Amino acid sequence: MSVPLLEVHGLTKRFPGVTALSNVNFTLARGEIHALCGENGAGKSTLIKLLGGIYPHGSYEGELRVDGKTAAFHRIRDAEHAGIAVITQEFALVDELSVAENIFLGRAPCRGFCVDWLEMQKRAVALLKDFGLALPPETPVRELGIGQKQLLEIVRAMDKKSRVLVLDEPTAALTEQEVEVLLGHLRRLRAQGTTCIYISHKLDEVFAIADRITILRDGASITTLATRDATVPLVIKHMVGREITDLFPRKAGASAGPPLADVLSVRRLSVAPAHGKPAFLRDISFDLRAGEVLGFGGLMGAGRTELLMHLFGAWGHRLGGEVMLRGQPHPHPSPGESIRRGLVLASEDRRRYGLILAQEIGFNLSLSSLREFTRAGGRLDLPAEQVRNQHFFGALRVKAPGQHTRAGTLSGGNQQKVVLGKALMTGPSVVLLDEPTRGIDVGAKLEVYELINRLTAEGRAVILVSSELPELMGMSDRVIMLHEGAVGGEFARADFTQEKLLAAAMGHAHAA
Amino acid sequence: MNARTLLKNLSMPLALVAIWLFFALKEPAFLAPRNLSQLMVDFSIIGTLALGMFLILLTGQIDLSVGSGVGLIGGIAAVLTVQYGWPAPAGLAAAFLVALLLWALMGTLIVKERMPSFIITLAGLLIFKGLFWRVIHSSTVSVKGVEENLYSMISTYYLPAVTGAGLAVAVVLLVAVVQWRARAARIAHGLPAFSAQRAALRFVLMGAAVFGVVAGFNQSRGLPMTFLILTATAAAVYFLTQHTPFGRYLYAIGGNEEAAVLSGINVNRVLIGAYVLMGAATAVTGFMQTSYQGSSSTTVGDLMELDAIAACVIGGTALKGGRGTVWGVLFGALIMTSLLNGMNLMGVTPEMKYIARGTVLALAVWLDVRLGRT
Repeated sequence: MSVPLLEVHGLTKRFPGVTALSNVNFTLARGEIHALCGENGAGKSTLIKLLGGIYPHGSYEGELRVDGKTAAFHRIRDAEHAGIAVITQEFALVDELSVAENIFLGRAPCRGFCVDWLEMQKRAVALLKDFGLALPPETPVRELGIGQKQLLEIVRAMDKKSRVLVLDEPTAALTEQEVEVLLGHLRRLRAQGTTCIYISHKLDEVFAIADRITILRDGASITTLATRDATVPLVIKHMVGREITDLFPRKAGASAGPPLADVLSVRRLSVAPAHGKPAFLRDISFDLRAGEVLGFGGLMGAGRTELLMHLFGAWGHRLGGEVMLRGQPHPHPSPGESIRRGLVLASEDRRRYGLILAQEIGFNLSLSSLREFTRAGGRLDLPAEQVRNQHFFGALRVKAPGQHTRAGTLSGGNQQKVVLGKALMTGPSVVLLDEPTRGIDVGAKLEVYELINRLTAEGRAVILVSSELPELMGMSDRVIMLHEGAVGGEFARADFTQEKLLAAAMGHAHAA
Repeated sequence: MNARTLLKNLSMPLALVAIWLFFALKEPAFLAPRNLSQLMVDFSIIGTLALGMFLILLTGQIDLSVGSGVGLIGGIAAVLTVQYGWPAPAGLAAAFLVALLLWALMGTLIVKERMPSFIITLAGLLIFKGLFWRVIHSSTVSVKGVEENLYSMISTYYLPAVTGAGLAVAVVLLVAVVQWRARAARIAHGLPAFSAQRAALRFVLMGAAVFGVVAGFNQSRGLPMTFLILTATAAAVYFLTQHTPFGRYLYAIGGNEEAAVLSGINVNRVLIGAYVLMGAATAVTGFMQTSYQGSSSTTVGDLMELDAIAACVIGGTALKGGRGTVWGVLFGALIMTSLLNGMNLMGVTPEMKYIARGTVLALAVWLDVRLGRT
């Protein structure tokens, strides 16, 4: 057997108070696509940061071998020289620069002291063509979609003659078509001899593309399986250390029983991004009943997030239509007013819109509910607040030393729990959840689903926005598919099929 | 607590001790009661302005106009009291009101018109300076007419020793009651609280500190009025930031403004509120500084905005917002004033003083960055 391209032996990485990796072993064969699977906090990100030189040699124990020789990466550039390119979820692209400038960032072709713009453009066009990207190279990166940015990162890595591409959750924000395009490129690169480490929570993708799967749990490498010998339940079992029988615990007819009152009615709602702009959301009508989960699906840019943000009072200029919340008009609310009237939003981008990362968990949990703890003279009742925070901290099973831990240090799933806790502490009757399980692991997903069931059992109504059809179908009592800002179709649970929903999302409701 | 956080927490007290030791060795007059009393007056004036600045910096904004504002508001009060013959309390109240209005206006422009605070308050710096010179006709206006008034007494009044001691007893008892009730509330909610011994120890230490400070002041002229103003301001800012929703919102906005909006916080109202409070702190500082100089003249307040910002930053307040404490700001202000006072005593030339102040500021930020990471 030839020398593996990359070998990790007995890797242990400690942070103050936590062991992120303990004795991890992992081998990467030439030309394979190797998936890393594990729950949030299992150590995947830490591992790839070690491989990419972000955590320098000496800050960990164990051995890293490239081509059979011990490698000591002191900085990112060392890893790049060894041919390892790590592409993280936060793109390392400069939005204000052009596509070509980004590809050659820090190593622009030069003539003397001057950048050779012509040469740069020529080379960029050639590279982009390989990837089927018909982009003018002078396009500013800020105008690119997420899928295109992802490909651009890969283009750049390939131009640096990288032998190992490390992709961390590359499809978290991509539509199904974009995922297909990406997977196609990865297969092509594999055929050309590029090796790839692929991290994803989406097991169907993993099974579609990976040759082998290594599973991490609690910082340890559990096992490596050949994909053809593995099954989804087996991988999940290794990831969580127990068997999960029911991926979507919502039962059909969970909202059955006497029909409950509508808590939210939306009639012919049209909304523009700003005053004087054309309508983006057009003529949307629906009702939401207490105790119900109403799913909203659609392609990227169909207007799902915008609809939630508008109902919450954080987006857009209403052109027409009416919104009734618990029998009261809800015309031009602010987020604060919406919360006081019992409507709350948990946003999809938790790091950007959800949390004050530098502050403690408790600070974040109670941030929307401080009114509840305000006593005479505007004084906060700190002990009462702390007790309430402790209650939510425990009920949501946030994995952290305590409520005084900073939110920024938590893993994605635990951050999501804090965001949900903040929303729920306000005692809402309508909960808007925008991609509540994006980028979180199977175990944490299950907890979110169970939470949704608890909420509806308590008579609250939930709107669930999700890009993943199985989740949408598994957890919703009804689904509305949006298509280009309008309702593309509405489906009762009995009528859910992937084909029908997708057709509606693409504007062919009647063709299916 | 690991070595790094310990070092970080102790860095300010250690720096202060080092500065005091240095000056005490170089210039024994530094530790004379009269000089320390003087130092505490300087500290009170800068500290009050820095506490206002602290609220602004917490939100991630800045205010460069406060130095000019100190001159302008002090000047308005002086002109009203001395040239127009208003009773001093009325003159001070009117000038205070003007400050609130001006800062409400600046805050409104910043949040409603989405203009960067750096630019608006830079414009404020220039405009207030111009208004100030117009108000006092670029001359010198005494704060004292024929006799002492409330305005002139702000910097000349010292509490008699007995009154000071009485006040110390009252403060100690008040703090003890507040702390005891807070502890009782924690126990009532089933939360861990300090043991009775620990609470008693804290009480003794706190009492010793308060009486020590008052006894020190009584060695010289007694408790200065300016120091009482600083103490009251610090207590108010502490309460505001640690015990009210408004204070939480300041930290939240500075930490992540978008998340603050989506958490239902009325960000505009909080920011305008912070600027109005900055206006109040500027006015009070303006009265103290002008009274201290004896008259309003064109240089009053010069560069005080930078001293205030420096005090906050030295005290660990993050310029990008979301981080900082009242104690840190007070330490920072005390470090700044100790340096200035010591250098004055040693007869350091003005140009060297500027260089020293700038160096200390850069050093403090460097230390903060080095110790603050991970």
